[in-house]
Amino acid sequence: MRCKQLLSVFLAVFAYTCVLGAMPAHAESVLRVGTLSNDANQLDPHVSTKSQDKILFPWVFNGLVRFKPGSADLNEIEPDLADSWSASADGLSWTFKLRKGVQFHGGYGELTADDVVFSLNRARNKETSTAYKDYADVASVTASDKYTVTITLAKPVPSLLGIVTNYHGGFIVSKKAVEALGENFKTNPIGTGPFAFSEYQSKRQVTLVANKEYFRGVPKIDKIVYRYLPDESSRELAFKNGELDLIYGTREQRWVERIREDKQVKVDIIGLGELRTLHINAAKDHLKDIRVRKAIAHAVNRDEMVTFVGQDVAQRSLSVVPLGYLGTTTDVPVYEHDVDKAKELLKAAGYPDGITLKVIITKVASLRVPMEVLQAQLRKAGINLDLEVVEHSAFHKLIREDASDLILYGAARFPVADSYLTQFYLSDSIVGTPTAITNFSHCDVADTEIRAARAETDAAKQMALWKTAQRKILEQSFSVPIFEQLIVWARTANLDYGFAMKNSLSNGPIIDERTTLK
Amino acid sequence: MLKYVLKRLGMSIPILLAVLTLVFVIIRIVPGDPAMVVLGDQASAEALEALRAKMGLDAPLVEQYLTFLFGALRGDLGLSLLSGKPVLAEVMTVLPYTIDLTIAGVLIGVVFGVPLGVLTAVYRNSVTDYFIRVLSLFGLSFPAFYSAILLILVFAIQFQFFPVISDPDLSDYGQRLEHLILPAFNLGLIMVAYITRSTRSSMLEVLREDYVRTAKAKGVPRLIVIFRHALQNALIPIVTVIGLYLGVLIGNSVLTEIVFNRPGLGKLILDALSERDYTLLQGVMVIYAFIIVVVNLITDLTYGLVDPRVKHQ
Amino acid sequence: MSLFPKAGGLHRTFNDLVRVFNRNKTSWAGLILLLVMVVLAVLAPWIAPYDPIDQNILQRLSPSSTEHLLGTDQFGRDILSRILWGARISLSVGTISVLLGMAVGTVLGIFAGYKGKFWDYLIMGVMDVFMAIPTLLMGLMVVAVLGPNLVNLTIAIALTVAPRFARIARAPTISIKNRDFVEAGRAMGFSDMRIMAAHIFPNILGELVVMGSLWVATAVRIEASLSFIGLGVKPPTPTWGGMIREGFQNILSEPWISIYPGIFILITVLAFNLLGDGLRDAIDPKLRNS
Repeated sequence: MRCKQLLSVFLAVFAYTCVLGAMPAHAESVLRVGTLSNDANQLDPHVSTKSQDKILFPWVFNGLVRFKPGSADLNEIEPDLADSWSASADGLSWTFKLRKGVQFHGGYGELTADDVVFSLNRARNKETSTAYKDYADVASVTASDKYTVTITLAKPVPSLLGIVTNYHGGFIVSKKAVEALGENFKTNPIGTGPFAFSEYQSKRQVTLVANKEYFRGVPKIDKIVYRYLPDESSRELAFKNGELDLIYGTREQRWVERIREDKQVKVDIIGLGELRTLHINAAKDHLKDIRVRKAIAHAVNRDEMVTFVGQDVAQRSLSVVPLGYLGTTTDVPVYEHDVDKAKELLKAAGYPDGITLKVIITKVASLRVPMEVLQAQLRKAGINLDLEVVEHSAFHKLIREDASDLILYGAARFPVADSYLTQFYLSDSIVGTPTAITNFSHCDVADTEIRAARAETDAAKQMALWKTAQRKILEQSFSVPIFEQLIVWARTANLDYGFAMKNSLSNGPIIDERTTLK
Repeated sequence: MLKYVLKRLGMSIPILLAVLTLVFVIIRIVPGDPAMVVLGDQASAEALEALRAKMGLDAPLVEQYLTFLFGALRGDLGLSLLSGKPVLAEVMTVLPYTIDLTIAGVLIGVVFGVPLGVLTAVYRNSVTDYFIRVLSLFGLSFPAFYSAILLILVFAIQFQFFPVISDPDLSDYGQRLEHLILPAFNLGLIMVAYITRSTRSSMLEVLREDYVRTAKAKGVPRLIVIFRHALQNALIPIVTVIGLYLGVLIGNSVLTEIVFNRPGLGKLILDALSERDYTLLQGVMVIYAFIIVVVNLITDLTYGLVDPRVKHQ
Repeated sequence: MSLFPKAGGLHRTFNDLVRVFNRNKTSWAGLILLLVMVVLAVLAPWIAPYDPIDQNILQRLSPSSTEHLLGTDQFGRDILSRILWGARISLSVGTISVLLGMAVGTVLGIFAGYKGKFWDYLIMGVMDVFMAIPTLLMGLMVVAVLGPNLVNLTIAIALTVAPRFARIARAPTISIKNRDFVEAGRAMGFSDMRIMAAHIFPNILGELVVMGSLWVATAVRIEASLSFIGLGVKPPTPTWGGMIREGFQNILSEPWISIYPGIFILITVLAFNLLGDGLRDAIDPKLRNS
């Protein structure tokens, strides 16, 4: 009896595991992308600033204007949803004429001025957007007819077109869809872009399908499967096995060289890079002494770091504002690598036997690995790092609670000096305050210049103010800019973007109606 | 017997409650902030505050605890802080993957472990016995993540028999099986080892019993008798192994899911931990604890049926 | 059942031990493998060819050569040296956590069994709760709360080990607590705990040693797993699990970075398993006599 029961269990399990389904035939062109992170954060362009989400947004959404695909140059802005635009003489009123007949995905109707007004007001509202600070100087957004939108400013801003590009708050969402979907909008984004959202499977993938009504033409790719694969090696393995066509690569020279060996693989190293800066928490007792901060700067060996990361994927950085940003300068004080000098400075500061600093770092390799290199470099100068590796979210929490003496941070922002200086070096942004952003070093020496530059209408004067700010910050050695890391994507040679892919603000390549997969 | 069942059931409830509480407390002490995970590193302090309020994280801890507790008692584990979906729904999405993996792992353990166990028992102290036993010790000495890496290196990369990432489309049964094989063997490795050992010791007892000798005297080939008996009683070593090593089985399935990037409860809980998705984390922990308590209960009861000594304890 | 039946001087104990080992050859194999590991770990500062945390960026990821026997990792650190130093971490976390868990668990188990009623329910209830959370997940949570370092890792593993020993100690306590000699001891004015410890400890010592070595095997595996997940000890401290994690990034081009430390984990865990398994066979009368 028992034997029979057991047999039937065996049979049932056997049948369960052995049922073979027929493989469906794939004639359509499906682009399979392997991205970083284990899940979507929020597929709402006004909210999420996470790489894994940002990469998708320009595929699904448009702005009033856009960066030329493959470029992140503010001088190469071209029409997107707006056909044309004009500014009043005082620069305070901007009028945009919309393209006619643009359809939202999923039957949400034609794009009108109402959607644009709704969208920009949504981006401006701190309840619904994380980009609201970019729009602080916008007084109102109004529609004068179905296809005309006017933006009125309270005072001139450094770059108005910048905040209506296909980036963050500038993405135009459907009013009807946001109102109808409510909370669900973040997992069911509705835009006007070349690809329409189709399905989201949490912790697994997002599926996009070609927007057959796309105003620039029907995309040549039928479907995009965007898979979340947090582990770099498994992404690579799957790519090598032909399970993926396009992957977010490892930002390392060796990886790039290795994957390039395969003739069927193309590597795109794209900017704008993320600046890796070692912020020195000057609020800590032993780091209040500028000599200790300078010693740290002298102990860092940028050249070795660039060698470690790789010539192709890393650039030496001198200024606290990344290269390629409007307003950055190389005319700043530089603390050359000099171990003896670092030791002298430490001795003068009262630490003849060296100093031990408590440092918290994320377990994510892109920051942890360079931190371990820094640890070895600083050790040579008698600066010992007591390094604690924590989960990424714990890292973000703890560094905002002043729990770490040194903070290695990597970031890319909107490519204007103001955004970087404001977030990292303005006293309003000091961590632990109600208006905190990411001023980890407690820097407060350049407030005047940063604020003045923002309101300055004269371009040359604005540049000069930004330069002074950068000099002041480095004179006090609040942080050590180390290197800029570019973003690496690998694709099969069959995938052709349809344009040169050099820079992108979305951390990923732009996929549009021209992209083909043979 | 009924009294014993009721008593064990009665003991399970306070244990589950205590696990619920422990998990809740531990999770709140862990540093991290789900609001920041959602909003990203550029979010302002006010925006974070607002989202925390929306997530219900600004409510007093006691209130959060009671909400969680009473919800859990009604079978409602709340909504995931990050995805906004019910925790139970999140679990249900990945559960089939974990069930596939576990069943296949145990099945492999049975298919290889029972015959090997019988062999070692029958040829006790022979070279075969020593060889298989040392091999089985090897099997249970493998850290699951290491064996997974080796399996991938050999069978997915060198020979390219199987995919590196085990993430099948569940409705495609062929793919489902193809993606299951490597992870299942990885999990099965330790199961084979345990079941071999467990079968061996239960067989050794049986071999001394009279009816085996009787059967032998009757001229029925010895091996057939033993195998028939082994199959009839295979349930005991299997139940023993699952009962004793459920924790190991779960731990190894977590590691297997990580290395193979396979969706499942283990990956779900690690993601929840790294994203500080408190509700999801406590939900999955409760489900794990529930599974363990239930399996332990079943194991105990099975023993109660099989082994009369237990009943009277 | 008892490994060391009667007290009889160190010499006697040693002979007993040799006899136990001789009953089962696998325990010798385990002991020898283990001794090799211990010797390597102890001698690490003298036999390791390089400083295990010394980076050499220009020589990173080089395969094995006469200069670096097992090659170098992504920071150009010598893998052999890191493995040798890593042995210290694995062995000490493994054994200390189990000894700690064993001590706490045994005392709690005896106490619970002896006191009975409320204390028994309370202690064993708490133990059941701890057992209802899988070892690896428990380790993950504890390390996440306390922070990842050696001491916390050890505590995390000890916490998951303690309940198993509490169970081992409790059962014999209950069965002998009402025997005459306990009453006699009490009449002579010895404290209860002392009586219990004196009588119960020798009885369960054998099982403690067996379970202890088997649990060290598990503890070494868990330590490696937590380090692999990325919640091990602080960099640049070398750990085997951490080395495998690091190597996994370059698994296609430099698989040896992961493979070598894995072999050492395997051997160490195997050594403890062989030892525990052999001892168990040797002292289990059911298996011994037939």
